[in-house]
Amino acid sequence: MSTDELAGSHVLLTGATGFLGQATLERLLSSYPDTSVSVLIRPRGERSATDRLSALLRKNVFRPLSERLGAEELARLVRERVTVIEGNLGSVSLPADLDVVIHGASTVSFDPPIDEAFRTNVSGVASLYTALPGSPHVVHISTAYVAGTRKGVVGEVALDHGVDWQLELDMALAARVDVERESRRPEVLRRALAQAGNQHAKAGPQSAAADAERLRTEWVAHRLVDYGRTRARSLGWPDVYTLTKALGERVAETLWARAGRPLSVVRPAIVESALHHPYPGWIDGFKMADPLIISFGRGVLREFPGLPDSVLDVIPVDLVVNAILATAARPPATGPAYLHVSSGASNPLTFQNMYELCREYFDNHPMPDGDRGHISPPTWRFPGSQQVELTLRAGERAAALAERALLALPPSKRSQDWLTSLGRQQQELVQLREYTDLYGVYARAEVIYDDSRLRELHAALPAERALEHGFDPAVIDWREYLQDVHCPSITATVRRAGQRRGRSTGDRRGSSSKVGSIPSRSLPERTDVAAVFDLEGTIVNSNVVESYLWARLATMPSSGWLRELADLARCAPRYLSAERHDRGELLRAFLRRYAGVRADELRTLVTDVLGDALLHRVMPEATRQIRRHRAAGHRTVLITGAVDLHVAPLSVLFDEVVASRMHAKDGVLTGFLETPPLVDEARAAWLRHYAQANGLHLDRSYAYADSYSDRPLLEAVGHPHVVNPDSQLFRHARRRRWVVHRWGAHTGGLLEVLLDVTRTDARAGTPR
Amino acid sequence: MGRPGFVLDVDERTPPLLMHEGEGFRLERLPLGSRVIYPPESLPAIVDIESAIRHALLHPHGSDPLPQLLRRGMRLTIVFDDLSLPLPQMRTPDVRQRVIEQVLELAAAAGVDDVELIAANSLHRRMTPAELKRTVGERVFRAFHPDHLRNHDAEDPDNLAHLGTTPHGEDVEINRRAAESDLIVYVNITLTAMNGGSKSVAVGLASYASLRHHHNVHTLRHSRSFNDPPNSAMHQSYDRMADVIGGQVPVFTIETTLNNEPFPTSLRFLTRREWEWNLTDQASYLAVKRGNDLAAGKLRRRIWQATEAPYGITGVHAGAPSQVHPHTLAAVHRQQLTEVQGQADVAIFGLPYICPYNVNSIMNPILVMSLGLGYFFNLYRGKPIVREGGVAIFYHPMPHEFHPVHHPSYIDFYELLAETTDPVMLETKYEKQFATDPWYTHLYRTSYAYHGVHPFYMWYWGAHAMQHLADVIFVGGNRSTTARLGFRAASSLADALELARDSVGVDPEISYLHAPPMVLADVR
Repeated sequence: MSTDELAGSHVLLTGATGFLGQATLERLLSSYPDTSVSVLIRPRGERSATDRLSALLRKNVFRPLSERLGAEELARLVRERVTVIEGNLGSVSLPADLDVVIHGASTVSFDPPIDEAFRTNVSGVASLYTALPGSPHVVHISTAYVAGTRKGVVGEVALDHGVDWQLELDMALAARVDVERESRRPEVLRRALAQAGNQHAKAGPQSAAADAERLRTEWVAHRLVDYGRTRARSLGWPDVYTLTKALGERVAETLWARAGRPLSVVRPAIVESALHHPYPGWIDGFKMADPLIISFGRGVLREFPGLPDSVLDVIPVDLVVNAILATAARPPATGPAYLHVSSGASNPLTFQNMYELCREYFDNHPMPDGDRGHISPPTWRFPGSQQVELTLRAGERAAALAERALLALPPSKRSQDWLTSLGRQQQELVQLREYTDLYGVYARAEVIYDDSRLRELHAALPAERALEHGFDPAVIDWREYLQDVHCPSITATVRRAGQRRGRSTGDRRGSSSKVGSIPSRSLPERTDVAAVFDLEGTIVNSNVVESYLWARLATMPSSGWLRELADLARCAPRYLSAERHDRGELLRAFLRRYAGVRADELRTLVTDVLGDALLHRVMPEATRQIRRHRAAGHRTVLITGAVDLHVAPLSVLFDEVVASRMHAKDGVLTGFLETPPLVDEARAAWLRHYAQANGLHLDRSYAYADSYSDRPLLEAVGHPHVVNPDSQLFRHARRRRWVVHRWGAHTGGLLEVLLDVTRTDARAGTPR
Repeated sequence: MGRPGFVLDVDERTPPLLMHEGEGFRLERLPLGSRVIYPPESLPAIVDIESAIRHALLHPHGSDPLPQLLRRGMRLTIVFDDLSLPLPQMRTPDVRQRVIEQVLELAAAAGVDDVELIAANSLHRRMTPAELKRTVGERVFRAFHPDHLRNHDAEDPDNLAHLGTTPHGEDVEINRRAAESDLIVYVNITLTAMNGGSKSVAVGLASYASLRHHHNVHTLRHSRSFNDPPNSAMHQSYDRMADVIGGQVPVFTIETTLNNEPFPTSLRFLTRREWEWNLTDQASYLAVKRGNDLAAGKLRRRIWQATEAPYGITGVHAGAPSQVHPHTLAAVHRQQLTEVQGQADVAIFGLPYICPYNVNSIMNPILVMSLGLGYFFNLYRGKPIVREGGVAIFYHPMPHEFHPVHHPSYIDFYELLAETTDPVMLETKYEKQFATDPWYTHLYRTSYAYHGVHPFYMWYWGAHAMQHLADVIFVGGNRSTTARLGFRAASSLADALELARDSVGVDPEISYLHAPPMVLADVR
């Protein structure tokens, strides 16, 4: 198909890898055979500009063309007609023979940190127009939403504002330095430390510090986003994206048009999937309205703060491309020309209408819900943004409270199931918050973008071109477009993922019965890895306090029990607070109770009575797993803060036992430890050292533990396994997708063991 | 002399009949025409047990009197049956204590001072000091424990002696101290016809190397039944081994037999025929049942396990094992044998709370299977109670419970059943792995665990029944455990019979083996 528009012209395209850029490039290649194209592409990481262009050719946008020509012919065509210019805006030398420059490069995010937004949308624009040689026709791609929070009809003219773009740019770039500096103030750091300490003190000081630093960088990012959003609002724009796009227009006017060079500013509204070209429904990733539509279909968005009568100005991408290229072929005679590519004026789609059409679509084609059938889309009542905001805020507050309460509960299967579903709800809330903050403004817009120039331009097209290269928004049948073209296209990937998820959970359920079986050969056989086990809560369902109780009660007449138990209860708050703070503290404090006990007596007691008590409390699944590792040749290691004497009955399972040793003087325990107890980060450090000394590969090793204090140990190995985790560790494991085991189905109860240990005839064999 | 055993035909006048089901029981109405096999009533007990024992020791069968076998400077080893006998544990003083005390008196009188006492626990768990004390009595315990009163350790290579092989090539390996003694005195309780005789030393003191020759699927499938020694391939193997042992070390055995009084008077209704229950029996049935149903699981178990049987002694026979055992068997038959005409299509068994391997412990699903398809199914002489291709219905809740200390290898064995329940498959693929697992061995030797291979033996115990029966149904059984074992669960007898229809039709002949108390069906 030949056309004389742009024939013989040399077009430079920026932002060719973006949504609009891809479509424009495709159109130029497929329908403008006599136009030569240069693309300005940044290298990204390892990938050069040429690589990125060849990757682009494999994308869906080129599929029809590639099918028509064949992949090789397409590649040849591109080599022949497209010149790749590698580099950043402004830092490369551009060809001098350009006729048209289509500048489409832009940030895609609505809410980037202020410096990033300004760097691309303002400073990038300035660099390009400064560097551009000659006087080609510049088609500057902007957005209809540069109109900001204005109401009523917005004309296709230059924006009326007095913002000094240079000053704003300088301030935005300086903000990063300010915020970085501010984030290092002791007050801010102290707050981060306190917050990290609350959550991570159990895992050790290094973990807490790392988390505090993570909190600081997060804070910086948030702060810069806040700088951007708030500055935009204070100037009359809803977000930093529209502000910087507006300033970009001003840059183009100042740096390019003021010198008398031709400038056209194209302002598309919300660009969505293609109506016809390259094929109906083509879209690249999710655009602005799509996350909303999908969340709605998945039942996540129960309500949304939009005005039912506000116009959601959606325009298919191929109409925009057609308008851009038609504009490119017609440089304005005098002064810059402005063009709205939007549907709101001649073919408005109200929010209410859009909701109804989408609802109808999802009613007829509900989204799959894994293996639980389908999701029913919610019903929106448009209660007003205030009401939605209140509900949302209440939900957020309730979720935060619920999380704190659940973390404080003693860990159990049920509380952790609650935690899981709470996590899901929180995710939904976070998403909802994001959408409300970002898109709320657009769904509340009471503005109409005048499109008389667009229609004029369309009318000027020769009749035979208008059919395929036209851009009259009045041709869109919204029902057909949304229900047959757009929604099927954007939900396709999500549907496929949903089905996969359904199948995979089915598989997992099917194999769960196999997990426990002995002849599991899932462990690879090798001798250069370790399997590290924590003791208390992981292998045995008891703790240091319990083993002390067995020892005491088994050796004293029952008349003394009450006193002992009362004394223990009296000290309990002290132990509890020590435990919460640092496990090492607890061990030190608690083991003092052994002061004065004869070491050999304790040893005999363990052999005769307490060993069995320990075996009573062993989780059979744990010993099975340890032996499985042994059978696979792995080195089995026990790391525990418990006293070595108590651990003796299990020592045959391990190649290495690291336990606390109590200090003894003349055969009598002093209640002090000989070395610091191995807890939290000390375990990880010990393991690293041990692995190095013994040539073990930690990235292929295994660790099993139950407490959040073991997080560093678990993170030190490639295969972390969590056993009956405390709630904090459970939450962490879920986020990291670690394996969570529930062990102890046949473990003896505490009371039974105490009864057995203290039964007088059980001790019949122990001479004393 | 009590009334002999008999077979009741259920008719309109038959009241609901007592049925054991684990740590509980119920009254169940059986279909009209069902047959109920009752044991003979409990025989009168010997009143002067001490004299009976003395008489047996001084007038043995096929041996010189014990005093003449004892001499100064000799090595004497007294071996006694372990915790698995009798069931439930008998009221103290245990008859083993009485026998051992007299043997020790004679030994002391003869000036024997190298005396060791060994519990013949084979691959069973060690007995705790408390359990040993209960069995041998305070006096003996104080004098000999812990250095000269011990459990047999089948995994102590230094303390095992290989005595040779039988003409069939079976290894005979037993406790070294016993093997190198001048005399073994074996103190036995014969509760069922499978106990005693050659089994005592050849099994009780053996090692895995020796046991595997008769504790295997092939032998057990050819032991029909193992409660009928002449027709039991297993007992023939015991005999061959006993010959090897007897050729190297003299064995003087004292076998005792019990009457049918396994329950204390408060539970007397459990041993009486239902239509003869008086008001007291009916009231205590109601009270005990209600109390039992209400009690929490762990408490209920403690109460049942604390039950002591008021067994009376019906016979004490001493001398050469081969000469003694026929007398013992005769006494067992007198107490337990009931003649039954013809096989049934369906056999019903109510399984009680105890079996030889869960004394002071938990009856796990594997043990339930061995109690039902092993012990109860094999309570026959001649032909099985149920015909080949028939159905066995058991009453037991079969909870998914295991004792973590006593049965660790059972917990792992249970996982194997997900892969296969075929005894031969399990034997060839996994027996050796479990038998030689160092962790199980460690627990067997130092803790109170059954040997790693023991769950396999329990499974083989049922091999004959599994081959013989078309279907096995557990009334009230936990569905998932029952299914794991390869059986079916039904919520009521009616449902069980409905399930059995595929194999035995709509109107099967039904026999209910009314035990305990113990009964051995002599099926003609």
